[in-house]
Amino acid sequence: MTNTLGWIAGALLLVALLVYTFWPENVFASQREKTRLDYLLERKEQLNENLRDLNFEFKAGKYPEEEFQAQRAQLENETVRLMGEIEILQRA
Amino acid sequence: MAAFGSFALLIALALAAYNLLAGALALRLIATGQPVAISPERLADTARRAGIAGFWAVTAAAFALVWSVFTNDFSLTYILEHSNRALPAAYKFSALWSGQEGSLLLWAWLLGAYGFVLRLTHKTDVKLYAYAGAILASIQFFFLLVLNFAAPPFALLKGAIPADGNGLNPLLQYPEMVIHPPMLYLGYVGFSVPFAFALGALMMRYPGEKWIRITRVWTMVTWLFLTCGVFLGMHWAYAVLGWGGYWSWDPVEIASLMPWLTATAFLHSVMMQEKKGMMKSWNVWLIFSTFLLTMLGTMLTRGGLVSSVHAFAESPIGYWFIVFMVIVLAVCIFTYILQYSHLKSERTIESLVSRESAFLFNNLVLIAACFVILWGALFPVISEYFAGNKVTFDAAWYNRIAVPIGLFLLCLAGVGPLLPWRATSLRSIRRNFVLPVIALWVTVAVCLIAGIRPWHDGAFDRGYFYALVAFALSAGVVTAIGSEFLRGAGVIARQSGRNFFAATYLLIRRNTRRYGGYTVHIGVVVVVIGLAGSAFNRSTESEMALHDKLVIGPYTLECVGATQDSNDNYNSEYALLDVSKGGKTLFQMSPEKRVYLASQQPQTMVAIHSIPTWDLYVVYEGINPDTGQPIIKAFLNPLVSWIWAGVLLMALGTLIALTPNQKPAGNGQGTEPPAKEAIQL
Repeated sequence: MTNTLGWIAGALLLVALLVYTFWPENVFASQREKTRLDYLLERKEQLNENLRDLNFEFKAGKYPEEEFQAQRAQLENETVRLMGEIEILQRA
Repeated sequence: MAAFGSFALLIALALAAYNLLAGALALRLIATGQPVAISPERLADTARRAGIAGFWAVTAAAFALVWSVFTNDFSLTYILEHSNRALPAAYKFSALWSGQEGSLLLWAWLLGAYGFVLRLTHKTDVKLYAYAGAILASIQFFFLLVLNFAAPPFALLKGAIPADGNGLNPLLQYPEMVIHPPMLYLGYVGFSVPFAFALGALMMRYPGEKWIRITRVWTMVTWLFLTCGVFLGMHWAYAVLGWGGYWSWDPVEIASLMPWLTATAFLHSVMMQEKKGMMKSWNVWLIFSTFLLTMLGTMLTRGGLVSSVHAFAESPIGYWFIVFMVIVLAVCIFTYILQYSHLKSERTIESLVSRESAFLFNNLVLIAACFVILWGALFPVISEYFAGNKVTFDAAWYNRIAVPIGLFLLCLAGVGPLLPWRATSLRSIRRNFVLPVIALWVTVAVCLIAGIRPWHDGAFDRGYFYALVAFALSAGVVTAIGSEFLRGAGVIARQSGRNFFAATYLLIRRNTRRYGGYTVHIGVVVVVIGLAGSAFNRSTESEMALHDKLVIGPYTLECVGATQDSNDNYNSEYALLDVSKGGKTLFQMSPEKRVYLASQQPQTMVAIHSIPTWDLYVVYEGINPDTGQPIIKAFLNPLVSWIWAGVLLMALGTLIALTPNQKPAGNGQGTEPPAKEAIQL
């Protein structure tokens, strides 16, 4: 490829990429700001997952009964607190 | 093609600049809500599309370079220095990363490719992806600056154009070299993506930990590439360099290991953040460090600061990298200080004997290992700067420090999964650790009986001692992880009535991340067993006339000939050796020595016969000029193939962990109360 052909090919590439970049589109993705409620729902999902893991590990014989109950109670209390706040925010 | 390639690189630079500036401006406008003539969302979208367009521009430049290699365009300095007409087609591709400029272009292209995928999937979280896209654009802008002004791959030769090129470095003319560097670069470059997400999430004060889930796939894929790249490099060094080993603590090896260590630490500690909201600052700095270490590694080896058998491209571009790293570090520190309040942990570690503390120990040990290795890598530069003479540490220094650290990590790989979250009681410890401890001590006893004793004639043998500890710990870790699988499968089997294998399969499918992770741990154990085998390496060397014999271990090597061959690319001479065991001939080996015509450089081609117990590794060292007889060096390296098998297991484990979990039946959306869900995994 000669230099001239190279420059022509380069110019064509430039035009194509500029057209692609600045082509006027009216539809583009946007998103609303993440709220406290979104965050709490994510956290709730994570707590549920932690509870599932805990239950499974107990059934697999990894925890003695009293340790399991103590940890479960703690996770459940946290979930209850979270759900309370979720309820308030959903009502507001 | 030179004009086209250069022009494409300039276009890519302009697009990266636009992506960075327009992206940053749009994010600023969205954050402040200032009314402006152009919609910030529209501006952000043009920035995103500039990033995609930039990928195509870099692709065009890379294509132009590959085209120039294949058309033997020796008017380009780069092609003249790294290729020749007789070079086989596969190695012509290798020419793309065999030199400074080409490897930087490959870097830019891979970064463009990662950015391309990221920008196409931006709808996952538009704002976070916009931040990450702008940060990636800034990294790309740096590489394109270097490519356009400091190390241009399309520089033209001054003067007459030679009829043929200087050829590719003979060390690179090996099949693995076609995939090893791209794999390593995929790992190196890939860490730009989690870095961009982490920095972006911190800049925008991302609420919650969901960004970790979004980036998890990126981090694991990148880690997998880096792991494969490091081990492919080891295998290449083993098969090509002809010294019988695979790891020599060379600066390039160290450069690839350091980000691997911090990335491994990140993969573990990030689980704490995701599950417990802990270690947020730590994780941010782990990923920042990993990215900076990839840059440091590139600067150390490509910038000409240190020399290495793996470094095929060196030039004084180190200053560019130093400036870039200083800027990146300043941005990281500034952002961290500014957003510090966002990184407060939600809870603290409650007990030293818990999974949280195991993760923390794992992290501390990995970071300690990284720091020691970094010190070793930088010491020659520091000593030369301050004392005027370059002091380097040898492999023994690194081994003295790295082996105990590695064994401690191996121990944690078994202990961690057995510890419950939060805290544990003595009863729990007894319940979970009894089997692994029994396995450990039984292995110690078996090894001692088999003759693996750390003392010989009253003298302490450190190699045998470490091998013994490695085997014992490996048995303990495999038992610990095996018991995790067994107990989990037992629960599923009891609940569902499935047989054990079906239950194990279901167990893995329902928690791919955990059991994929355990599979990776088993892979690490297998690798460690392979590494421990090096304590028992043997070697012998002899000049061999026709029908002379050389004995090593159970094998007898008989020289049945020495011959020569040649083709357009190289001349070679090699010995033909019949290998027998117990008087029975098993196979023939032909170690070789080549001299490449274009570069007039010699290259050893090792002959390796590999079985699970050991490798028979034979090197043709050339002809003794006094006697005219070939000199053969043979090694018997136990358990080497375990290393490569272990890496395959690690890759399999990572692939499992990357697979989405199968939802339990009736729990499609995960909406049932936890108590009901708890029945199933």
